Amino acid sequence: MIGYIGKRLGAAVFVLFAISVLVFLIFFATPGVDPAARIAGKNADPATLAQVRASFGLDDPLPVQYGMMMKHLFITHDLTSFVNRGTLVMPQIIDAIPVTLSLVVGAAVIWMVLGIVMGTLAGWLKGTIVDPLVMLVGVFGVSLPVYWLGEVVNLLTQKQLHDSVFSWVPPLGYVPFSQSPGQWALHLLFPWLTLALLYAGIYARLLRGELINALNEDYVRTARAKGLSERRILIKHALRCSLIPIVSLFGLDFGALVGGAALLTEVVFGLPGVGKLTYQALQNLDLPVIMGTVLYAAFFVVLANAVVDVLYARLDPRVRHAA
Amino acid sequence: MTAELAVDGVRTTPAAAGAGPWRQAGARLLRNRSAMIAASGLALIVLACVLAPLYASAVAGTDPFVSNVSGTTVVGGQQVQVLQQSTEGLGLGVTPIGPTWDPGHFFLGADGQGRDVMARLLYGGRNSLLIGGAAALLCCFLATILGIIAGYFGGWVDSVLSRFFDVIWAFPVYLLAICLSVVLLTSGLHLGPVHIDAGSLWLPVLIIAVIYVPYVARPLRGQVMALRGKEFLHAAVGLGASDLRIMRREVLPNVLPTVIVFLPLMTALNMLTESALSFLSVGVQSPDASWGTIINDGLALLYTRPMITISAGLFVALTAVALNVFGDGVRDALDPNARLRGAA
Amino acid sequence: MKRALPLVAMLALATACSSGTAATAPQSGAPAAQSGAAAGFQEQHKGGTLKLLAKSGDGTLDPHINYSNGNWQVFQAMYDGLLAFKKVGGEASYELTPDLAEAMPQVAPDGKSYTFTLRKGVKFSNGDEVTVDDVKASFERIYKASGPTSGTFFAGIVGAAACVKKPEGCTLDKGVVVDKAKNTVTINLEAPDSEFPLKLALPHSVILPKATPGKDQGTKPIPGTGPYAAASYDPNKELKLVRNSHFTEWSREAQPQGYPDEIVYSYGLTVEAAVTAIQNGQADWSFDPLPADRLTEIGSKYASQAHVNPLSAFWYMPLNTRIAPFDKPEARQALQWAIDRAAVVKMYGGANLAAPACTLLPAGIPGHADFCDYPKQDLEKAKQLVQQSGTAGQEVAVVVADEDVSKQIGEYVRSVLEQIGYKAKLKVISTNIHFTYVQNSKNQVQLSVTQWYADYPAASDFLHVLLSCASFREGSDASINMAAFCDKDMDAKMAEAMKLDQTDKNAANTKWGEIDRELMRKSPIVPLFQPKQVDFVSSRVGNYGFHKQFFMLLDQLWVK
Repeated sequence: MIGYIGKRLGAAVFVLFAISVLVFLIFFATPGVDPAARIAGKNADPATLAQVRASFGLDDPLPVQYGMMMKHLFITHDLTSFVNRGTLVMPQIIDAIPVTLSLVVGAAVIWMVLGIVMGTLAGWLKGTIVDPLVMLVGVFGVSLPVYWLGEVVNLLTQKQLHDSVFSWVPPLGYVPFSQSPGQWALHLLFPWLTLALLYAGIYARLLRGELINALNEDYVRTARAKGLSERRILIKHALRCSLIPIVSLFGLDFGALVGGAALLTEVVFGLPGVGKLTYQALQNLDLPVIMGTVLYAAFFVVLANAVVDVLYARLDPRVRHAA
Repeated sequence: MTAELAVDGVRTTPAAAGAGPWRQAGARLLRNRSAMIAASGLALIVLACVLAPLYASAVAGTDPFVSNVSGTTVVGGQQVQVLQQSTEGLGLGVTPIGPTWDPGHFFLGADGQGRDVMARLLYGGRNSLLIGGAAALLCCFLATILGIIAGYFGGWVDSVLSRFFDVIWAFPVYLLAICLSVVLLTSGLHLGPVHIDAGSLWLPVLIIAVIYVPYVARPLRGQVMALRGKEFLHAAVGLGASDLRIMRREVLPNVLPTVIVFLPLMTALNMLTESALSFLSVGVQSPDASWGTIINDGLALLYTRPMITISAGLFVALTAVALNVFGDGVRDALDPNARLRGAA
Repeated sequence: MKRALPLVAMLALATACSSGTAATAPQSGAPAAQSGAAAGFQEQHKGGTLKLLAKSGDGTLDPHINYSNGNWQVFQAMYDGLLAFKKVGGEASYELTPDLAEAMPQVAPDGKSYTFTLRKGVKFSNGDEVTVDDVKASFERIYKASGPTSGTFFAGIVGAAACVKKPEGCTLDKGVVVDKAKNTVTINLEAPDSEFPLKLALPHSVILPKATPGKDQGTKPIPGTGPYAAASYDPNKELKLVRNSHFTEWSREAQPQGYPDEIVYSYGLTVEAAVTAIQNGQADWSFDPLPADRLTEIGSKYASQAHVNPLSAFWYMPLNTRIAPFDKPEARQALQWAIDRAAVVKMYGGANLAAPACTLLPAGIPGHADFCDYPKQDLEKAKQLVQQSGTAGQEVAVVVADEDVSKQIGEYVRSVLEQIGYKAKLKVISTNIHFTYVQNSKNQVQLSVTQWYADYPAASDFLHVLLSCASFREGSDASINMAAFCDKDMDAKMAEAMKLDQTDKNAANTKWGEIDRELMRKSPIVPLFQPKQVDFVSSRVGNYGFHKQFFMLLDQLWVK
């Protein structure tokens, strides 16, 4: 087990390293990103420009710059933004994490419950009207661009119907849980639903497919032959195996979302989470913040994958001796 | 190459002997009513998009690629500006003409450049379907190969591929898109003999296909790993079949249903990703359109002319629904777990 | 057709909603701009929290470094220079008034030295009194901190050249001479500069405590002399201004007492959400340009909360005069004829939000002359000129930023280029890269769409900055002369006009007008329109005033 963890850790470090180098190289290969020129602005004297460049360390060779950036990020923890000088990168990310976690965990609960219920219903009642109906709802969820949906939700809740049906909806933004749990949930309600709608559809569809597969499996037939009740077969046998690919997907999605992939949802609803931070950094081409958020995101992706792999073995005994 | 041919040669025999499970599946598919409805819906959408030039020139009588900022049209017998300046109060803002519901002109209204939205939607569908479909195919193709290899061989092959997936999945696509759009601006992309221009459709296809490979490949890999414990695989190994043969003949049919479920989903997802990339100017460039770019253009007018973005969104959603229902039909028809496995 | 009906009904309803109160709305918010400062401080409106919104923070809070419209507006309530533009609404806001100086400076006959007497008793927000040493240190700091305009606006101070080259240990012993006993400061210039007093009223030359370190202070607030001081600043969250307890009003024209007790600038909401928040009374104002689809509603239903004022700025298209096809003057003139400026104005929000531009100098900037040599779109003439230039059929790429108005204009220009005989493409890049990308000659940009806002009201800030040989720098991201236009003859004429400005303002203005006209003939730039600013405030806000240089006067707003 220790060997396994060691191996995964080594792999994680490799992934982070590869991503950081790629981000670094792509950034410097792009014309127009020089933060000195963007700060010194309109019509700066060349000498001034050169000094500002030097103050950023941009006149050092690339490997040195890379090394310095990693040192500031991991050893001295004082990496600062290119665009908003004096703003430390690490505290920004740390401040943003609770917001993103609030959004993602809440949405994940909703979409998992919805997805499993919808998927199971559709798979179980295949051949009846329920199946296509549930799936249609799911497909629509998948097919709507999330930022579009968010804008429409805002239009309705903040604007068109704000005076009547949605008068209880608070303004956009975030209230910390510690400050007021009620307000926290109220502020996050629509972001949760918006984000969950997209994923619930994907999960329901996938689960339905898996379930139908599983119900045709030998072990289900055996169980049926043994005279077990259909409900018991569904829940104890079929569902358990069908959840495996779902868990794998959930790991990917959850890891990515905690890492900031709920970028557009956070932007549209004005939630100051990691996704929004990433979005702003990308908009400003603020390399230190991009680097910080990207590595943070990559860390969660790698972590989630590792957890999924371990869980796999627990959920599905077949994987254990194969792996 | 020879190995592949050999496998192909072997493959034909049992397929023929099994009274053609594929042909049976085809027959079953034809009997599936909802799948057929979906297929005809899909065909209708594709047909409409193919006939876009006809609609633009013969029905609507406009060129949806030329700005028509100062143009006028006739509504209810009155000549009106296509882009209308507000006259109320302080007179701020200019709003394009809304839907006339007359297919002859501005059926769904005009966009910010005064161009016919309906005509643009039909033209845009060509690009969206092409990008969404091509990227989904390419993505699922790559993902299937990589997922099966990783799951089947396990060990270091799996480790390397899994790390590769991690890198792709964790990489900031939008950064790549922004930077790529600037880098390609002057010279385009040169990959050996292949030259891709900044505005080429193949760029979004390639980017989208690659970024979603881990999304499809990882569940497949898990499935394949689960299969490794199954008897029929052990049996095949016992008979001395080559790895390649086992992967093609035994593993692939087992994961194919999942891939088929993914295919329409990915097509829908890709059409959405395409819109985000278009927004960041990789891919479909103005004056060309895609449903994604029209959704984006429409978002700027969400408040006054919601029909633009809603209609484009509906086209994406309807296509995705049709694809999904049809995909389900295909999947049910193949019913691969019951039939194809029997052949093993 | 039937299915469509409910939608039509819905749209009709939406329009009906938005036009609800239009009839009672006042015709224009502009008259309000005049009110306010003329009357004295009105105690009953003092207090409350002014809530401002913006998509994101605007970079460093260091007034010597920050060069953005957003923070320059905020700095008006925080810092003072020796001189100031009058903090009033309307035309008078372009007039200078002594601020930390007791009176306007005494200028030596040769125009090379300015002597100021420092006002006594003014305190920084840290409690220290402003001394002549602070003044000297502040001028040295412009160079020590490598301020963006240190090598341009302030390059003329004696000793500046050395400081620009080597900022560390910069001293201006000959350039800024102080006399502690007389409490005076004398600034010596290498050559006369009639615009120097204007430059002293900009945030880049405000007076800071002498102990302020000589590098960008970033998010760390620096004590200032204005009525407000920053309590905290996080460019991703908010800027909080509180009253400077050491402030007492010394000149109402230069630095009036502010009304709100607190000014909170929150960052992060999209502009769509910001507009909604203002309509719902949850916020008072938003910095970002208003979304196109909300303008009509704001101009009608909320007309009483909207204020429209012309900006000293213009949107324009620089044509690269060094690469094909716009190295041919005929090709450039063709574009002047081809663009329908009224159509471009539509994309910015219509005739009440922008005025088509015939000249390089916007109306309101000294030297602006009312001529119009390309008054109307003439596609035939344009096609003919393209043929004459022999560039027909060439490829042209229009490079624009990925922001809504720019994209629309870019698409229109592309369409027009096709019509007059070019093979045109639109290329859209990230807004943040666009400005530096199109400047760099290495990127071979033929044509782009961009804007220029006046740093201070002077013709040279447009013509000399944008089109002199000196502002073109080969292969640099800071080469504001995007047209890469260099005409020795025009350079000489501009130098002449600047010299004339020291003795005879009117003659200089006439001269600038002529230069403008001649440049329009040479057409390195196609001016598009002069934009107007729309400020949309919440219903509780009063005492709106629009400053021509620094926009809405934040701290003069009433929230009570």
